[in-house]
Amino acid sequence: MTPRTITRWLIGWAMATAVACVFVHRVFSLEIDEQHPRAVVESVWSAGALVVQAVTARAGDRDARIEAALAAHPEATLVYESIVAEAPVIRAPEVALAMSFVPGRDGIGASVAGRTAYVTPDELLSRQAYDKGVTLSGVQLTMGLDMPIALALLSERLGTTARDLLDRADVRRVRVVRTVPGAARPPAATPGALNDHEVRAATISAGRYLARGVDGEGRFRYLVDAPTNRTLGGYDWPRHAGATYFVAQIAALSHDTDVAYAALRAASYLRDHAIVSCGEVRCVGDGARVDVGSTALTVMAFVEVVRAQLDAGYALFVPPLTAFLRAQQRPDGEFMHEYDREANRPVDVQLLYYSGEAALALSRANSLLGDARDLEAATRALEHLAGPAWNFFGSRYYWGEEHWTCQAMDDLWDRAPNRRALDFCLGWEAYCRKLQYGPGDTPFDGDGAYGFGPLLTPRLTPAGSRTEAAIATLEAARRAGVGEAERRLLESQIRRSLALLLRQQFRPGPTHLFADAAAVEGALPGSEVDWQLRIDYAQHAGSAMVRWLEIGQ
Amino acid sequence: MNRTLPRSAALVLGTLDLVSGALVAFGVFVALPARWWPVDGAAAVLATLEVVSGLGLLLGARWSAPVARASAAVALALGLAAVSILAVTATWLSSVYGPVGRGGGIVLALVALLAIPYLVALPVAQLLWFRPGAMAGRAAPEGP
Repeated sequence: MTPRTITRWLIGWAMATAVACVFVHRVFSLEIDEQHPRAVVESVWSAGALVVQAVTARAGDRDARIEAALAAHPEATLVYESIVAEAPVIRAPEVALAMSFVPGRDGIGASVAGRTAYVTPDELLSRQAYDKGVTLSGVQLTMGLDMPIALALLSERLGTTARDLLDRADVRRVRVVRTVPGAARPPAATPGALNDHEVRAATISAGRYLARGVDGEGRFRYLVDAPTNRTLGGYDWPRHAGATYFVAQIAALSHDTDVAYAALRAASYLRDHAIVSCGEVRCVGDGARVDVGSTALTVMAFVEVVRAQLDAGYALFVPPLTAFLRAQQRPDGEFMHEYDREANRPVDVQLLYYSGEAALALSRANSLLGDARDLEAATRALEHLAGPAWNFFGSRYYWGEEHWTCQAMDDLWDRAPNRRALDFCLGWEAYCRKLQYGPGDTPFDGDGAYGFGPLLTPRLTPAGSRTEAAIATLEAARRAGVGEAERRLLESQIRRSLALLLRQQFRPGPTHLFADAAAVEGALPGSEVDWQLRIDYAQHAGSAMVRWLEIGQ
Repeated sequence: MNRTLPRSAALVLGTLDLVSGALVAFGVFVALPARWWPVDGAAAVLATLEVVSGLGLLLGARWSAPVARASAAVALALGLAAVSILAVTATWLSSVYGPVGRGGGIVLALVALLAIPYLVALPVAQLLWFRPGAMAGRAAPEGP
């Protein structure tokens, strides 16, 4: 084979690849025409359930079944989903089929034997079918449409089987634009137009959502499926304590007695059910092994209950808990994250978040009670976290989750300022800005979220937690006299994330898809399409908003 | 002993083959988060061929040149297929999801840049080096 022959082959290969790319793009991309929808799916929803559906040529076309359903269910909502574009899908492999639908934007349509049926994004959202198709267990990611659910709905509508659909039907993705006649759409929050009144209302709404979920015993509704308003399984002490901390913050901000009593019930649940002995001191947990994070967040919750003037008595429970945190600290400032209660000894393992949580808890405890040992321990922890704990070749280019570390850095600033820790947090925030989506980076409402690539629906919890830390860093930077340019970057980053959280919060959200819209009012979803509501989603976002109000931007 | 290949060239090409084989094995069996037989199978075949070819060249085995040629041909075929599939997949994803964004673009460009030197450029150079005409031209003259 001569050089000339190889060159010709390579040129041919490059041209064939280019032609294949052009062909694929022409076949699979959408040509969206909102002015001339191909069909309109009219749906009547009542209490989160689909009552009846009809396909018409134009929005507003009358259909007898729709009229009858509206007459029978006066409280029901009529929704138009206009199909503004269609494109074919790849049927195999299964992963390609599942990835052929943009979450929250695309529905699925099929034609067989002269009949056409659609399953719209509202139906798929109602069934929580997005981002459930493919699981990459190695990186703990799920993405793509849950095809068994989508095909089951579609095949039922066409009177056939899912297998038959895949074998014989013309299956397409359909891009849908939703309109609800008569519904006034509030202006979407934007970074430039954020105002304190709106942020205050949003965080109080998030706090009230959590407070409504605290039962008589003091337990939260830990995980709620928004479409059905069902409480799902699972519970977790660190998140219970974090949510208690936030509800206490909102009690102070709103002066709402219902919220205050909810905070007290949640705190008493910790006090009465979670505090156990760890050797000579007290810790939080219920198993043979307990972790530092549960105790740290419980300290923060109790300190907040006292600061909010809900019950000063909780100050008495703080010292035995901070004694546990101090006992878990190594000479180099790092914490041993677990304690074996059967063997009565610390276990020197390190888990995500806990060291930063412990540093912040010790700092907050010192602010309240003035124990110098807590301040010394928090200062040493921060020195370690911002120094040796993250110091290796490449540590400027790759970072962990430091949102608790940076809150501890700011919290300590007045008593033990640490310029190296501030620089560490400024570096981490600069890294986060690189991962922050811009307006056109994904097909989703993602401006202000953090993530990588356009395929994953942006998660909202990192936007909340990183914003808490960014506001703390901004505040410390202001006090340290960091330059205006750096602070402007931080402020822009924060504003974009806060605006995103405000846009995505259920205030009230698509109420027609919820069995009980009032029950989930104020909640923060996991993402635009993940409507399983865990308590820490509202906590991180809400605490970020509280911090924003505190620094008075 | 392979008398048609200078020792220095055999050392360089053999080492490159071993490095390529190790990179392919690491990239697929360590770096990729999931197992999928078409990719795993192709990587296993290619890595084995590269290692055998590299060892043959380093040891100066008689069979090293034809094995190196076969290894380069397989690497080139798989490399061209991989780059084409990556390009078409990226096009498909951007057709479904819109522009792949800066992050996605960087990942795809990095993957292509990592694949092209080892799976396109090196095999092309080896095929040219080991083509029969070039081998004959470099062959040392036999003594009387």
